[in-house]
Amino acid sequence: MALKALDIYKLLPKKNCKECGDPTCLTFAMKLAQGKVEPDLCPYLDEEAKNILGASTRPPIQKVTVGMGTLSFTVGEEFVFYRHEKTFYHQPGIMYSVSDTESDDRIREVVSQVRGCRLTRIGIDLVLNGLAVYAESRSPERFAAAITVVTQDNPDLPLVLMASDPAVMEAGLAICGNYLPLIRGVNDQNCEAFCTLAKKYGAPLVVSGNDPEQLAANASRCTGLGITQLMLDLSGTEGEFIRASTLVRQAALARSVPGLGYPVFLDVRSSGFSGLITGITKFASVIVTRPLTRTEMQAALVMRQNIYTDPQKPIQMTPGLYRVGSPGRDDPVFLTVNFSLTYFTLQGYLESTRRSCWLLIVDTEGMSVLTAVAAGKLSESVVKDAIEKSGLASEVNHKTIIIPGYASPLSGRIEEYTGWKVIVGPRDAAEIASFIEEELK
Amino acid sequence: MTISYSPGWTASIREVVIGATAAEGGTRRISYRIGGESDLPCIGSGRKPLIAFEICDDPALWPDVIRSACTKLVDNPPAWAAYVDTTLQADLIRLNLTSTRRRNFDAYDAVSKTVIAVLQATSLPLIIEGSADADIDSEVFQRCGEAGEKEKLVLGTAEAARYRSVAAAAIAYGHSVIAQSPIDVNLAKQLNILLREAGVPDDRILIDPYTGALGYGFEYTYSTMERIRFAALKGDGDLAMPMICAPSDTLTIKEVRAAVHSHETAVSWEVATAVAAALAGATILVVRHPGSLAPLRTAIDSLWKEEVA
Repeated sequence: MALKALDIYKLLPKKNCKECGDPTCLTFAMKLAQGKVEPDLCPYLDEEAKNILGASTRPPIQKVTVGMGTLSFTVGEEFVFYRHEKTFYHQPGIMYSVSDTESDDRIREVVSQVRGCRLTRIGIDLVLNGLAVYAESRSPERFAAAITVVTQDNPDLPLVLMASDPAVMEAGLAICGNYLPLIRGVNDQNCEAFCTLAKKYGAPLVVSGNDPEQLAANASRCTGLGITQLMLDLSGTEGEFIRASTLVRQAALARSVPGLGYPVFLDVRSSGFSGLITGITKFASVIVTRPLTRTEMQAALVMRQNIYTDPQKPIQMTPGLYRVGSPGRDDPVFLTVNFSLTYFTLQGYLESTRRSCWLLIVDTEGMSVLTAVAAGKLSESVVKDAIEKSGLASEVNHKTIIIPGYASPLSGRIEEYTGWKVIVGPRDAAEIASFIEEELK
Repeated sequence: MTISYSPGWTASIREVVIGATAAEGGTRRISYRIGGESDLPCIGSGRKPLIAFEICDDPALWPDVIRSACTKLVDNPPAWAAYVDTTLQADLIRLNLTSTRRRNFDAYDAVSKTVIAVLQATSLPLIIEGSADADIDSEVFQRCGEAGEKEKLVLGTAEAARYRSVAAAAIAYGHSVIAQSPIDVNLAKQLNILLREAGVPDDRILIDPYTGALGYGFEYTYSTMERIRFAALKGDGDLAMPMICAPSDTLTIKEVRAAVHSHETAVSWEVATAVAAALAGATILVVRHPGSLAPLRTAIDSLWKEEVA
């Protein structure tokens, strides 16, 4: 478990010398607790304190990267059991599976499903991460041929290679090994051979075991053979997965079992969509699933985005001018903050009125209207800045903006500072329909 | 070396009984004892969550996707309830008295009639959502409570600003209460204390953390539920009530409303939300789309071990 700021503070010299760059030891301790600075910045730490702080700020779960280039992704480096304790950092890679016994056309089709999937929410692209090819044929030639179908047009697509015969795996790696695919298929018999392959290509390796003890022992065996990019295979039914992943996460965070401090691999080809959702919420880092329906894929990607949102930093809408419907030059302009929920709520109510309008989103660092007004993040200068940057004046024929009810104390100052007329709207977005009906006939 | 899981919990979730069989003084064919878990969801020997299916007595404001999925039933709550019971095989039915949301509502006799008709059409335990307006709460909850006397209903919804009417009806007729707070662990705790002070016993309260829709704040609900469960297992008795969560709220969002394959979309989003809610600690999962029942049931059966009788 990571140390709290006050625990860290007790280990510091408490001189407030500022040599670390922070004004006081306490602020330095707070940054250490958040993992934002390294303990080495303090020149007066004794060895014991360094050891304690070093161990507590080093991630308890190893960082592992799958793939090369812009599509590669990194997992691991997690610090907490509950997302509300801090945040989950590295969202799981979701990989669609294909068998090497499927036709080349089918393989191409799945590849295009993966590459063509792009869902944009609040300005963020949500994507699938790659493809898992499994050697159902057990033939080195066929496995290599299937991988060639994928890599011909998409050499940079991250892959998971799944085969338990080292000769088959080697044939696959000969095609794509340099792109650092994740290798899955280690068992008790082939461990040395697989470690040799992983080492040769520098590729990450999934290890398995029938129970946590064996899993930890196998992982340690691989590290003993020089492999550090490891993942732990916890595939099973949804229930088996939850129980294993809870235990592994707890052991990893407690740093009590060195062999369990790695990200988790999960194959949900048999448990399906609910298995995928389970993996997303409960600590899986790479999830292999059969290709999903489009609606399942969307729900899963949004769930992943939700769970991996930093609770201390709300999802923010990109500030700017947005259209609701197809507004013309005389339609009203509503102003609101860039807290995503505020935006979603207001946008939903505006859409349901079926009245086209403009929505000017100002940057309040993701704060809601009430908190932004209280904290001074929503002010006349912020509004002026937003009006200018968005080019609002060139889009509409009037100079009137409607501000949220909770921002009413600012109305006079906004008018003076921007020269725009201000109408105070309702406090609650639910009242926007009657507001439009009564005030904007 | 054995690697074991040592959570260090000191307390468990309180048990609440829903429904009353003939032996218990009611007319239900089954009653449920929910809660009692002493660990995280799916870990240890905790009970499986129950699936409640939502119906209503006035579907005008319900999502199109639900009205079209239940076409022949939406204007007939008893027939709808019977369908949920025998065909969908939900564990519970949640009857929403949406008719009370209409302006100048005063058809109180109809409320009593609907509740009685639904109780006759199904022998599953019932959750009843009454009015959402302080001016008519007292009369509506009184009628609901009376119509379901001895059936150990769950009545909803109590909020910090209006909980007295629903609490009074629950106390008078032996029902439980849903206590809803706006996605905040402290407010949830506060409302439970208010209800206790109003005379509702602790073992007749369910926490509704309020469900943000998937993609629209579900992460807040998810974490609030995890925090409530954590606090309860660490010994906070004011938060040790079972939780009810309504993934059906997800059906009102734009992605579902605007979807080309709206039924498929509704099911995917509702099931995804329900599975995650179950993993965060929900004891009752409320769904609205008929297609969500089967996949959710399969997921829960796979997630939870067989119950030890």
